[in-house]
Amino acid sequence: MKEKIHKDVVIIGAGMAGLTAAMYCGRMNLDTLVLENGIIGGQIANATDIENYPGFVSVTGGELISTVQRQAENFGAVIDEFDTIEKVTLKTSPKIIETEEKIYLADAVIIASGMNRRKLPLPEEKKFAGRGVHYCELCDGHAYDGKVIAVMGGGNAAVDAANFLTKYAKKLYLIHRSEFRADEVSQKRLRGNEKVTIMLQTEIKSLRGDKRLEEVEVFDKKSGETKTLAIDGIFVNIGVEPNTKLFKDELNLTASGRIAAGEDCRTEIAGVFAAGDVREKEIRQLTTAASDGTTAALLAEKYLSKLKG
Amino acid sequence: MVKVYSFEGCPWCVKVKNYLKARGVEYEVHDIELNAEDAAECQRISGDLTVPVTTIDGKNYVLGFDKKKIDELLASA
Repeated sequence: MKEKIHKDVVIIGAGMAGLTAAMYCGRMNLDTLVLENGIIGGQIANATDIENYPGFVSVTGGELISTVQRQAENFGAVIDEFDTIEKVTLKTSPKIIETEEKIYLADAVIIASGMNRRKLPLPEEKKFAGRGVHYCELCDGHAYDGKVIAVMGGGNAAVDAANFLTKYAKKLYLIHRSEFRADEVSQKRLRGNEKVTIMLQTEIKSLRGDKRLEEVEVFDKKSGETKTLAIDGIFVNIGVEPNTKLFKDELNLTASGRIAAGEDCRTEIAGVFAAGDVREKEIRQLTTAASDGTTAALLAEKYLSKLKG
Repeated sequence: MVKVYSFEGCPWCVKVKNYLKARGVEYEVHDIELNAEDAAECQRISGDLTVPVTTIDGKNYVLGFDKKKIDELLASA
């Protein structure tokens, strides 16, 4: 029988939105628990060089997020990154969050579960995952010191990953099926590196290798030519998908799979808030994630005050 | 003794170490960026330099963070 524990607020996800919400909830003396199924920091934990977060000229994601974590914990929020959430029931009062080990009864819930990186959509992905196909530059980039690396994708995350990986690669290919979407500053940095070959309008067709990745077959959409490149490791950065599987029967999701909630972060269920990248919105930045976390926490407190009279 | 092959700044390595700490398990950190012998040993154990690699006997290992597999590894010691 699982132990039942009451909490004022349970925050799902320990990225920038979730930890900011935890910091605010803690400051307001709310009994606050943060549950995280992945890594603390979420996507930002892998960021190597953040230059657009106010107050920092340049900071790694790890440094930034560990500071926010410390701030949240200093105000009494508890973070559990090992007890996996199995089921959520949000329409009841209190709301129920069942984990592997416990059942949490929460008066308010803030969902800040963020996004996961999209997997490489090729049948060989499983064979080579961790053996030449990677999703974390910071974790696995060092294994390719002096080797040939490819980065797949054309957004900011892909170009920043490519810039970071040039410190290891003897040769780096940036392969993207359409045109760049990344900031001009990051593109310029990449174009200026002589180790880098940029292949736009190019699709990856197949991966080959015995025990690990050895070759990648690419198709140039402009010329119609197919080529084989000898590549030791490929880092996939082809976008993200919202982490909302747990909530699909509980909340309205938009066509993109995100949670429908306005700028006030309120969902259609009273006492349930959505914050950060998981919320449907136009701008998804680290700064707006922190902003959402703040809004959700302050309005959760308002909701709890009313609830408790 | 449990050994964790890892390096500073690797987020999943931090998660493995935090998990071992939370379970009260003593472990040695082997930094594959700072120590070439540790890197060679990691390569020998898992056939690669992808980390974290957690092992007790230098044969059986868990790559990445997998709570169930780490629990099984610890139980087998």
